[in-house]
Amino acid sequence: MNRRELLGALCATIALPVFAGLPADGLWATGRRVHARARGRGRAFQVLDPHQSETVATIAEMIIPATDTPGARAAEVHRFIDLLLAEWAADDERAKFLQGLADIDARARGAFGTDFLTATAAQRVTLLTQLDGEAQKSDPTQPAAQPPFFQQLKWVAVFGYCTSEVGANAELHYQTIPGSYDACTDLGSWRAAPGDY
Amino acid sequence: MAAPSFDAIVVGSGITGGWAAKELCERGLKTLVLEAGRPIDPARDYVEHVPPWEMKFRGLGDRKALERDHFIQRHCYACNEYSGKFFVNDRENPYTFDPDKPFHWIRGRQVGGRSIMWGRQVYRWSDLDFEANARDGFGVDWPIRYAEIAPWYDHVERFIGVSGERLGLPQLPDGQFLPPMALNCAEQVVKEGIAKRFAGERVLTIGRVAILTVPHGGRAACHYCGPCERGCITRSYFNSIGVTLPVAQATGRLTLRPYSVVHSVIFDEQRSRAAGVRVIDAQTKEALEFRARVVFLCASTLESTRILLNSRTARFPTGLANSSGQLGKNLMDHTMGGGANGTIPGLEDRTVHGNRPNGIYVPRFRNVKTAHPDFLRGYGFQGGAGRPGWGRVASQPGFGVELKRALRSPGPWGFSFYGFGECLPRPTNYVELDAEKVDAWGVPVLRIHCQWSDNEHKLLHDMSVTAAEMLEAAGAKDIKPFVDDNAPGLTIHEMGTARMGRDPKTSVLNAHNQCHDVKNLFLTDGACMASTANQNPSITYMALTARAAAYAVEAMKRREL
Repeated sequence: MNRRELLGALCATIALPVFAGLPADGLWATGRRVHARARGRGRAFQVLDPHQSETVATIAEMIIPATDTPGARAAEVHRFIDLLLAEWAADDERAKFLQGLADIDARARGAFGTDFLTATAAQRVTLLTQLDGEAQKSDPTQPAAQPPFFQQLKWVAVFGYCTSEVGANAELHYQTIPGSYDACTDLGSWRAAPGDY
Repeated sequence: MAAPSFDAIVVGSGITGGWAAKELCERGLKTLVLEAGRPIDPARDYVEHVPPWEMKFRGLGDRKALERDHFIQRHCYACNEYSGKFFVNDRENPYTFDPDKPFHWIRGRQVGGRSIMWGRQVYRWSDLDFEANARDGFGVDWPIRYAEIAPWYDHVERFIGVSGERLGLPQLPDGQFLPPMALNCAEQVVKEGIAKRFAGERVLTIGRVAILTVPHGGRAACHYCGPCERGCITRSYFNSIGVTLPVAQATGRLTLRPYSVVHSVIFDEQRSRAAGVRVIDAQTKEALEFRARVVFLCASTLESTRILLNSRTARFPTGLANSSGQLGKNLMDHTMGGGANGTIPGLEDRTVHGNRPNGIYVPRFRNVKTAHPDFLRGYGFQGGAGRPGWGRVASQPGFGVELKRALRSPGPWGFSFYGFGECLPRPTNYVELDAEKVDAWGVPVLRIHCQWSDNEHKLLHDMSVTAAEMLEAAGAKDIKPFVDDNAPGLTIHEMGTARMGRDPKTSVLNAHNQCHDVKNLFLTDGACMASTANQNPSITYMALTARAAAYAVEAMKRREL
């Protein structure tokens, strides 16, 4: 093998990245630019129809309402739930979730003669209180096939909110680079970080 | 046609490959590093500062892709939506095992190997460990003692930067430490409780970790963002991409070739030497050969052994350098998952600032001074204390303003001990080439036979008892002992299968990680280990690699190789 052939054989050889000389914050900014991507916003719903998506958004907002900080609707939790249903959930899980949504309307019609969305605010609270009570009564030590629908919805509403840009920055305290470690400090005006499960 | 020629070939670019490259290049050898996987560009591939909302599934992971491509790798905590790309595709990289004896082989194929997402805990071994086999008769005696490796531990620690606390314990020798990270408030309480009840016998300290607490060697101190396994753009923890390989490259003697799947070692029967390696280009599937005066296998425990098993020759029909018949035998992994957790009362007005990428450590205390009646050898604990954040809110009753308000207060301090125990070397735990299956590059795959023995089960049980005792001594409430049932492999401390030893009849490698049978062939990754101790093994691999490289270069100068 001659030199040309040798170079050919080694053509996949790469130079190691030289980044020792750059300051840390410059490197960090580089990394962030590379990774910055808009997620979720504007994407069409894949699973939830307008009625279902509005029902999910309404319930999620009742779980995490706007207060001095934005709530679940502003964080577009219902969009994240649609993504999970479309690309993450197994077929039977998706079917059960949609059945759970349908069941809420069925209950509302039985109790109030109208869909959940057109029920009064007080009626909605009554219905959610009932669902939450039932979910709390289910025995978590029993290996049920799936947690109750409302428990699932509450979990994903809290998760979706706390990991959203709005929730993580307005309600929680998101800090990419704390910069130091203090092992024992005053709780003060503590806020969770998105990573604090 | 002559193949390209180098002074040295290093197979693998991870923790040991990086060290071999650095030492060999610095000592004047023109060195080719062959890496099976792709190159990594930290600016593009590291994701430690990407917030959850920029990940498609917010860190939950692409479940369907994980089930399809990472059905083994996903057992590892770090194989998630962020770091999953640093783990191999299980469909391309199959291996086989008996269904009732699962082995979780967690692997990384890229420049940097698993040093990108490793756990970073580094603990020296002592003569309690190097003498263990000789003492109880399991395995063969280590051909070295602490005094021989101690200067190499110094050498490695000074270079990579290790933060930790000096304890003066004979079973866990101190090293060249940067300032330790701090224990948090609740860990301090547990430390004091243990000191009061178990004075001198059990000790709680901060983890010794390859993360910089102060600037070191031109690298920045840790900024406490937390998830090291996603990469570190400031090079504050040790991995080969950021620390050893750049030094090798700076010598001008390094050639690094990614996408190079090493198929086997070329053996020169007449001269009884390794002549080089056969490579399959991972992208083109082209077969290539590279030649060198000395070959270092640093491909990871099971990959290096697989290469040797696949290098069958007329003289070595069961695998290269296997005149002892020990190649593939005595596979080990630390047994992990006995422990306890509990709640530490009080300290309600205290918290921490920053994400410390490190926990506590309790050095081995069993079979140190007195023999335990039920089991051999011992274990150490990792773990730590923390306050749960918003995750607990979803399971609380209620909804609305009150539930949302609960996001603003943390839960009580919880503390968890998680044990890592020694695994006995047993010839019945072994690997062989699967007669039928090949990987995506046509290389025969391994069939793995591995099971925990009674001794490991007893260690796990004892961990749950002693962890609960320590929590009780610290005044913890709601103490819950546990024993996790983890398959071997999942600790990702797989060791053995080409053990070091004094006798060529019963070991593959000598005291310098040199094949007894093939003098210019070295193996310095976890396959060389004759026992596991209970300490995380990587720093011992690094020290053995540096030591072997120095030996090889001296032997070449003496014209012995």
